[in-house]
Amino acid sequence: MGEIQVETENKKYDPKIAAFLCNWCSYAGADLAGVGRIQYPPTIRTIRVPCSGRINPLYILKAMANGADGVLVSGCHPGDCHYISGNYVARRKFALIKSLLTYVGLEEDRVNFSWVSAAEGGRFAEVVKGVSERVGALGPNKGVFKVDDGGATDE
Amino acid sequence: MSQNKIGSVLIVGAGIAGIQAALDLAESGYLVHLVEESSAIGGTMPMLDKTFPTNDCSMCILSPKLVECGRHLNIRTYTNSQVVKSEGEAGNFKVTIKQKARYIDLEKCTGCGACAEACPVKVDDEFNQGLGKRKAAFKQYSQAFPNAYGIDEKNCLYQTRGKAKGKDICLKCVKACQAGAIDHQMEDKEFEVEVGSMILNPGFKVFDASSLDYYGYGTIKSVITSLEFERLLSASGPFDGHLVRPFDQKEPQKIAWIQCVGSRNAKINHNYCSGVCCMYAIKEAVIAKEHSHIPVDTTIFYMDMRTPGKDFEKYYNNAKNNQGVNFIRSRVYEVTEAKDDSGDAVIRYSTEDGQICTDQFDLVVLSVGLEPGDSSKDLANMLDLKVNKYGFAELQPLSGVNTSKDGVFAAGAFSGPRDIPETVMQASAAAGAASALLSDERGTLVSEKEYPPELDVAGDVIRTGVFICHCGVNIGSVVNVPSVVEYAKTLPTVAYATDKIYACSQDAQASIKALISEQKLNRIVVSSCSPRTHEPLFQETLKEAGLNAHLFDMANIRDQCSWVHMHEPEKATEKAKDLTKLAIVRASMQQPVQPIFMAMNHAALVIGGGVAGMTSALSLADQGYEVHLVEKDKVLGGVARRFSTGFRGEDMKAFVADLIDQVSNHPNIKLHVGVGIKDVGGFLGSFTTTLENGEQIAHGVALLTIGGQEYKPHEYLYGQDQRIMTQIEMDEALYNHDSKVENAKNFVFIQCVGSRCDENPYCSRTCCTKSVKLALKVKKKNPKANIFVLYRDMRTYGYFEEDYEEARRIGIIFVRYSENAKPVVNKEGDTLVVTVTDHVLDRPLEIEADVICLAAAIKAPEDGRKLSKWFKIPLNADGFFLEAHMKLRPVDFSTDGVFMAGIAHSPKNMEEVITQAKAAAGRAGVALSKDQVESAGLNAFVNKRKCTACGTCEAVCSAKAVTVDLVNRVAVVNDALCKGCGACASSCRCGAISLRGCTNEQIVEMLNFL
Amino acid sequence: MNKIISDIRETARQLLADGKVDVVIGYEKGSLPLKATPCFVHSAQEVDSLIWDETCENNLAAFVAKTPGKKAIVAKGCDSRALVVLLQENQLVRDDLYIIGVSCHGVIDQRKIGAEVGEILEASITDGKISVKGMEGDKEYLFAEVKDATCQTCRYPNPVIEDLHLGELIQVSQDVAAFADVAAMENKSESERQEYFKEQMSKCIRCYACRNACPLCYCQECFVDCNSPRWLTGGVDRAENLLFQAGRVLHLAGRCVDCGACSRACLQGVDIRALNRKMTKDVYEMYNHESGISEEGKPALNVYSANDPEEQFLVKE
Repeated sequence: MGEIQVETENKKYDPKIAAFLCNWCSYAGADLAGVGRIQYPPTIRTIRVPCSGRINPLYILKAMANGADGVLVSGCHPGDCHYISGNYVARRKFALIKSLLTYVGLEEDRVNFSWVSAAEGGRFAEVVKGVSERVGALGPNKGVFKVDDGGATDE
Repeated sequence: MSQNKIGSVLIVGAGIAGIQAALDLAESGYLVHLVEESSAIGGTMPMLDKTFPTNDCSMCILSPKLVECGRHLNIRTYTNSQVVKSEGEAGNFKVTIKQKARYIDLEKCTGCGACAEACPVKVDDEFNQGLGKRKAAFKQYSQAFPNAYGIDEKNCLYQTRGKAKGKDICLKCVKACQAGAIDHQMEDKEFEVEVGSMILNPGFKVFDASSLDYYGYGTIKSVITSLEFERLLSASGPFDGHLVRPFDQKEPQKIAWIQCVGSRNAKINHNYCSGVCCMYAIKEAVIAKEHSHIPVDTTIFYMDMRTPGKDFEKYYNNAKNNQGVNFIRSRVYEVTEAKDDSGDAVIRYSTEDGQICTDQFDLVVLSVGLEPGDSSKDLANMLDLKVNKYGFAELQPLSGVNTSKDGVFAAGAFSGPRDIPETVMQASAAAGAASALLSDERGTLVSEKEYPPELDVAGDVIRTGVFICHCGVNIGSVVNVPSVVEYAKTLPTVAYATDKIYACSQDAQASIKALISEQKLNRIVVSSCSPRTHEPLFQETLKEAGLNAHLFDMANIRDQCSWVHMHEPEKATEKAKDLTKLAIVRASMQQPVQPIFMAMNHAALVIGGGVAGMTSALSLADQGYEVHLVEKDKVLGGVARRFSTGFRGEDMKAFVADLIDQVSNHPNIKLHVGVGIKDVGGFLGSFTTTLENGEQIAHGVALLTIGGQEYKPHEYLYGQDQRIMTQIEMDEALYNHDSKVENAKNFVFIQCVGSRCDENPYCSRTCCTKSVKLALKVKKKNPKANIFVLYRDMRTYGYFEEDYEEARRIGIIFVRYSENAKPVVNKEGDTLVVTVTDHVLDRPLEIEADVICLAAAIKAPEDGRKLSKWFKIPLNADGFFLEAHMKLRPVDFSTDGVFMAGIAHSPKNMEEVITQAKAAAGRAGVALSKDQVESAGLNAFVNKRKCTACGTCEAVCSAKAVTVDLVNRVAVVNDALCKGCGACASSCRCGAISLRGCTNEQIVEMLNFL
Repeated sequence: MNKIISDIRETARQLLADGKVDVVIGYEKGSLPLKATPCFVHSAQEVDSLIWDETCENNLAAFVAKTPGKKAIVAKGCDSRALVVLLQENQLVRDDLYIIGVSCHGVIDQRKIGAEVGEILEASITDGKISVKGMEGDKEYLFAEVKDATCQTCRYPNPVIEDLHLGELIQVSQDVAAFADVAAMENKSESERQEYFKEQMSKCIRCYACRNACPLCYCQECFVDCNSPRWLTGGVDRAENLLFQAGRVLHLAGRCVDCGACSRACLQGVDIRALNRKMTKDVYEMYNHESGISEEGKPALNVYSANDPEEQFLVKE
């Protein structure tokens, strides 16, 4: 379904980015960007979760395996969690999955994490803009989670 | 007091105090009338960027409360309204409310903002402190409740120029509003409500800095107030959080704060400390550094740094030592405009040693104090309430919340400056007091909605109904709504899809209801605006149609699509299709979720029989609940038994005796004195506590009020000479006419003994005032006495500033010492000699002392750790109880059903202890008022087959809702405690624990459809 | 026969004879050269099959939870660390467990030998020298030359938890963990790393031998076997293999005791340990945490600190 549009001049893609947003801060921040009519690229497909603590690292792997060009994960700033410590618990998972994915050679810019508060509408737009640009510059997801060279196993 | 009580409460002012009190009362079974002068609830908090000492985002923590308050069936909110008349007495008041015309029908307005877009009038935005513009058709701030616009009649073109002459001038808003909500002919109205009690929290206004011309506010552009600075920092402020000077957009690199602007100033009848400015200045300085991408130099000019609140000292030290904020103890003479055309401001000040200096800054922020709001004065007048000389309401001594009129309670800055947690505490305390007054009438006026029986959809073929909203032109002008409808029809499970002009309108709701039954729809998806504001509305419709509210999902194609991709209609349409598809996938996999009910034991256990415990116990008993009060000591009263007078001169002995008498004779209170606790088990609604004597108490909630302990000084020769005593000992000596103090001539008070040091890094809050009070007592009795107070910062916050001022006036000598040059006490023969380095003279001063009074720290209670383990509650680094949220849940623990009050939470004075004790009782009362413990049901649940009992879920659960049953080797979720965050589910390697409404299956399927 | 072996046997004999345990889990000589196999001794008569040497490569902790009754286990350092994690995670009851601690100098890296001599036909160890007869030739090695990579950086050769220690303790010089191998990989370019792991993932046939050898992979149902939701599509290709390996490694993050059992178990020679080591390094550096070194500790992902580092994973703005 990932429709890819090629801009002739700078060869940038309109990537499709799976965005996991926590309900209480980042989703509210995204709403606020809307209220302020702050424009950002139409690249993200939002999945609302109660808390960034709900985000299973496997979701991120799965999103990449399913061909998303990128992933954006955003929760409340540390200390602001509606559930007291969900984002603290999540933070270790995020740090590790990001590190692991970079280690195995996934382009650094594909999987992105940020903290966006309910008051940071402008910042939310900036984050999406930045992520979209960088993921767009990478082109479609063809990295380690996709087999584009028929590269099945030896068997 | 009236015999004919009414189970309803009037709350005046809908800032955080009003909202908290309203929620507490409405949740405990009272009808609330909430009156707010402005067009939206929220008060001052929405204007603030971050809040100290946690740097939480103010809006983030407030907005869930706004929504909850706004939607509450038993809170009737009247905006643009004022109380104009009141008669009657405690228990039964008749109050007249005047509501100004809003010119926009709240029933019809969808908050879409089309009127504001169309409105041609731009005026200064009060919410942004005049730093930005708004329209004449406006909403105060984006998250405001009611989520509706209003028209400012003073600026609207039609209202000012057309209406009177009958001319159709402008009226662009009317044309823009597709909901037909605008009614320029609306009139003001007056109506009467009957209430049993009133809670007043009209808030404060900030001091008008332009009245002190030497600060240059209003004449020098680079001089702004601290509240203006909050708006500059705020991401939703006039500059989107980019820190720039408002007048030239220059990014400031050097910013100064001047403290005590309009505070601690007897000349202008502001001889009180506003209490909050030191902390907010530090916060602003720290946040300014964080915000700016260039290095920012920040300096705070102050007299005394007053950071006596919980964890405040740590915050101050961090700013000073780690963040590089400069602190200059000084007196500021004046602020002038720089002569170099830079637009900067120059501060001329003198340092402590008398040097006169000047320094130039890009921006100067005046830390303006708090004073009574204009409407506060009117309100006090109208209700004939006693006010103090500053115009703040005067409360009855040691009552925490009682105004001079029975049945009328106060919260927040109405009775004096206070910070957010103190305000919230007072609000809960006032709610508790009102609840105690009206307990017989609880539940008489509240309503509960009835729904048709729920359809059983189990096993039915899934038929999803999809509704795509145009939101007038808000969505439809960007997203091709009909094509989204056509697309939705092609998706699996979709049985019906259509579009709506306004999906949230009354007629759309009726149509959705009808379609549910006609089309036999058993899942509903609405693609419109934000579920954060509208999900409850649509879920309500589902319930009215007999569908479980959770067989539903929303796609946000307005706030997160059409509004943010206005220039890319095709891509926005694609995105709207995708978002709708994801919502359909999620909804199709949704199962009915039922609320879960558990038994509620209506008894409370109060642990600790000091003033806090007794006050809490009495309040709860008065609210009609059975209370068990446990005190391990042989007598009730705690440390207060050793106090002679309170901070406002109250007779503490009589007060404590009276409290003991009341708790001993209250029919609802059962005392367990002289016995400790052996074990605690259970959770909200069903705790069981075992006493050391074997007795078992079943209770639904617990209040921990175990006090603290006095620090035993090992410094200053304490314990080696009878003439060296702690404050409590000195108080006792004075009370007992001890010859040691009676005959003494030279008194030395040493502050910060065991506080603000490595061992106890926090400030003990009360000791400065206590020493000043003791010194005044001595001096007034014996004017010839020589009294020295050796201090680091004199922290006589609030009205205690008056005592400090008086003390200096009548000749008590204050000598400041610094942390690294502490006073030294020596015994030369039989003579006690105190040596201290005087900062002004910069040389050692020797004082022969007859009495040395040590301001010994207040330490955390010994038993804190035990209780922490039993109740699964956290302690902070200093050993005090750690509340669920430092700002908005100051008496709740993160564990439901457990509350705290008093010194065990943090050092505080008696009045504050009492307020907090009543607040804890108020909050506990909310829980106890429920027939059953109810949980929405969007909880974690366990697949026993997969669970390996590894305990990861238990470890990550902040609500302590999951425990591992080691016998059956399975994790068990306590539905009473689960908050539904899902941290357990994402941490479970085995996939054994999941979250209703957000299962792995749902998310993965959504990812498969991405 | 060396003293430790006789001590192990004697201890086992006593424990079984006294009825203190129902079974002793240790090693016996395997059917393949240089490869001891786990054995389960149920009676005092059988104890003489127990051995202890450089071929005892399995992590016996993997068998403990599945073995009912009271049990004794012969544990080297890494086995004991796995036991600690299993205890932390409620998989074992300490009272049912008797830990016979042995210090370990390391185990033999058979793959290295095999690469040089072909399939190993016969081998013997005498005085620290390993003589091997292989399909493609014979060779003699010093133990140090063929010591498993895991054991070369081992900081816990002595059990961290035990009821009895046999033999002498080994002095460890490293006071901080070293991760030169991980650092070397980190320093490679993104494309080099990607190529390396693509190649590794291409080798994987998803036989799950790694998972089965791991003492800490004890889920009732592994996520790869789950039908609802289906995390993996079922195909065996490089991308799906990475999903499995990355998922498994994340499940082990903050728990893995770096025993190397997964890598040794892998018939395809996939460098699984490279992934686990990366997580171990991260957890060590970011959270100052080493798994399974004290019973009071908790797995790193079960706890948090307000000051956990975050700069390196947050999006750059």
